Amino acid sequence: MVLSELGNKISSALAVMNNTTIVNEETINQLLKEIGNALSLADVQMSLIIQMRKNIMAKIKLDQLAAGLNKRKLIKRVVYEELIKLVDPGVPAWKPTKGKPNVIMFVGLQGAGKTTSVTKLAYFYKRKGWSTALICADTFRAGAFIQLQQNATKAKIPFYGSEDEKDPVAVAKKGVDIFKKEGAEIIIVDTSGRHKQDAELFAEMKQVEQAVKPDNVIFVMDSSIGQAAYDQATAFKSSVGVGSVIITKMDGHSKGGGALSAVAATKCPIIFIGTGEHIPDLDLFNAEGFISKLLGMGDMPAMMQM
Amino acid sequence: FMKYFNMLTGNKVITKEELSTVLQDFKNHLIKKNVALDIAEKLVDSIGASLVGKKLSTFQGINSIIKQNMEEVITRILTPKKNIDILREIQNVKGKRPYTIVFSGVNGVGKSTNLAKICYWLTANGNKVMMAACDTFRSGAVEQLKTHAERLGCELYERGYGQDAANIAGDAIEYARSTQHDVVLIDTTGRMQHNEPLMKALSKLVNQNNVDLVLFVGEALVGNDGVDQLTTFSKSLSLLANTTSQNVRTIDGIILTKFDTIDDKVGAAISMVYSTGHPILFLGTGQNYTDLKRMNVKSVVKSLLS
Ligand SMILES: Nc1nc2c(ncn2[C@@H]2O[C@H](COP(=O)(O)OP(=O)(O)OP(=O)(O)O)[C@@H](O)[C@H]2O)c(=O)[nH]1
Ligand SMILES: Nc1nc2c(ncn2[C@@H]2O[C@H](COP(=O)(O)OP(=O)(O)OP(=O)(O)O)[C@@H](O)[C@H]2O)c(=O)[nH]1
Ligand SMILES: [Mg+2]
Ligand SMILES: [Mg+2]
Repeated sequence: MVLSELGNKISSALAVMNNTTIVNEETINQLLKEIGNALSLADVQMSLIIQMRKNIMAKIKLDQLAAGLNKRKLIKRVVYEELIKLVDPGVPAWKPTKGKPNVIMFVGLQGAGKTTSVTKLAYFYKRKGWSTALICADTFRAGAFIQLQQNATKAKIPFYGSEDEKDPVAVAKKGVDIFKKEGAEIIIVDTSGRHKQDAELFAEMKQVEQAVKPDNVIFVMDSSIGQAAYDQATAFKSSVGVGSVIITKMDGHSKGGGALSAVAATKCPIIFIGTGEHIPDLDLFNAEGFISKLLGMGDMPAMMQM
Repeated sequence: FMKYFNMLTGNKVITKEELSTVLQDFKNHLIKKNVALDIAEKLVDSIGASLVGKKLSTFQGINSIIKQNMEEVITRILTPKKNIDILREIQNVKGKRPYTIVFSGVNGVGKSTNLAKICYWLTANGNKVMMAACDTFRSGAVEQLKTHAERLGCELYERGYGQDAANIAGDAIEYARSTQHDVVLIDTTGRMQHNEPLMKALSKLVNQNNVDLVLFVGEALVGNDGVDQLTTFSKSLSLLANTTSQNVRTIDGIILTKFDTIDDKVGAAISMVYSTGHPILFLGTGQNYTDLKRMNVKSVVKSLLS
């Protein structure tokens, strides 16, 4: 399972706590150090780790004062809560409305997996009975339109794009108009890859956003990304109205922490993870299930009750 | 960063304890620059070991000693031990047979784009270059390469999708021989490094065709997964090696892409070279044909220590 190594590390750090006879400041510090190392190995942003350690410390002290709870259980629960906070910003994910056009715009760094994921998402809704459509507003990358065309054709989803039109804003606008008229419910706009260092590309992204007025903007991020994740994600978020995140390539070996840092940056929920190159390889994301699995703790929600 | 080092100065012997705080901060600094965790640890440990018990002069504080040490160590790491002169190697076989280069790596890192940049560079240096479309899987991959070939005025060998990449590469090389091409640039499908069947297919392509140069394309954005990607690709090349062949095939060199997207978080360069010794032959610094640079070791070291 993805992230299992990180999970193992954290679980074994927690398991050590079960066996130590004394739980004091020193043992807690040692535990937090080990968890911090595990998270760092998984590319979680250093400042987030430091913040998380502080939060855990503060919570443990407060709760200890409040009641004579079992310290080990308490520590486990606090760690669990803080990990959840890392992947779940606590805002509900945007949901499309039936019977009206819902325009969704995809943005992200070069090669993150946008074009692959637009078809995956359209296919996800199509199977649930929504009428869907795809638009290629990437007029820059060589072969971008044909890539989307081939995927859309495979998934039997209507698509729009042009090999001659060089203006992404014009293509996006035209495509959305067409599919709105046709009564599509889910209209997904794919855009070129871009990065914060290129102001022109960011300006172009804003123009596309203004032209198609998306109901949701989805930020796509590669799970293997390292320490640059936070800055890039912050830049996207402050430039367009990012509302959700999709993390791709979770079938690989990376631990996804860089991408999780991006969630902290955007304060947006992860809605799906990409788990392969084929069209059905898209899984709904659930923060609690994710972290429970990560820690090898099937019964975590039950533990929360204590 | 320098502020950490002003704490410990003076005319005295450095003890382990004094060093460890400074080195811990230094390790965190490296991690923030996207150096992989274990590589950061190894770097810091080796520097620590070389300093314990050393005497400081009044004029040289621990700060400048460590910085100088680090600078030396990292410069040594990044300076290639064996240099590959691609232009010369091509020259050596010119007129006898085409020189063959394979571009490999995980999904979306920039293999095809940087293949096109290399094509531009080799053509500008007076070579007759051909591309071989051996990504027969990803939608639009063939058309993507075709677009680049047309723009660059070079020939493309392709047989569409779904067929055996190793065989197409072989036919492409044969074709290039008969048409007096000097170089064949072989594009491959992106694959996750632990996908055994796909790694075997890559090994087959490389060994069956006895290619001259195997490049690993990795992105500078990658976090802790980068080292595993590179080492696993390198190892996997011999999965289906000729049993009679004496030398074990490994990756010959690295192209580190998307260097324009990471600001000063240059750590991936250090992690990859440190763990394998494979040289970084080029940096990808953008999406245009001229965005291919030699690595400037000095400026990378400067970014890392800033
Ligand atoms: N293994 C795996 N590969 C994926 C996944 N999602 C996308 N990919 C692959 O990643 C590569 C890049 O995907 P694209 O969809 O072209 O990425 P993009 O963001 O549209 O790229 P640009 O348009 O160039 O910015 C392709 O080889 C995809 O097949 C995933 O979940 N798992
Ligand atoms: N900013 C930047 N983008 C790059 C660089 N190199 C490649 N890209 C972009 O990265 C994206 C993916 O590039 P490709 O060449 O298609 O990557 P690939 O490795 O061939 O992808 P797959 O074949 O799908 O595995 C494209 O949008 C490229 O324009 C670079 O050095 N800098
Ligand atoms: Mg795309
Ligand atoms: Mg490619």
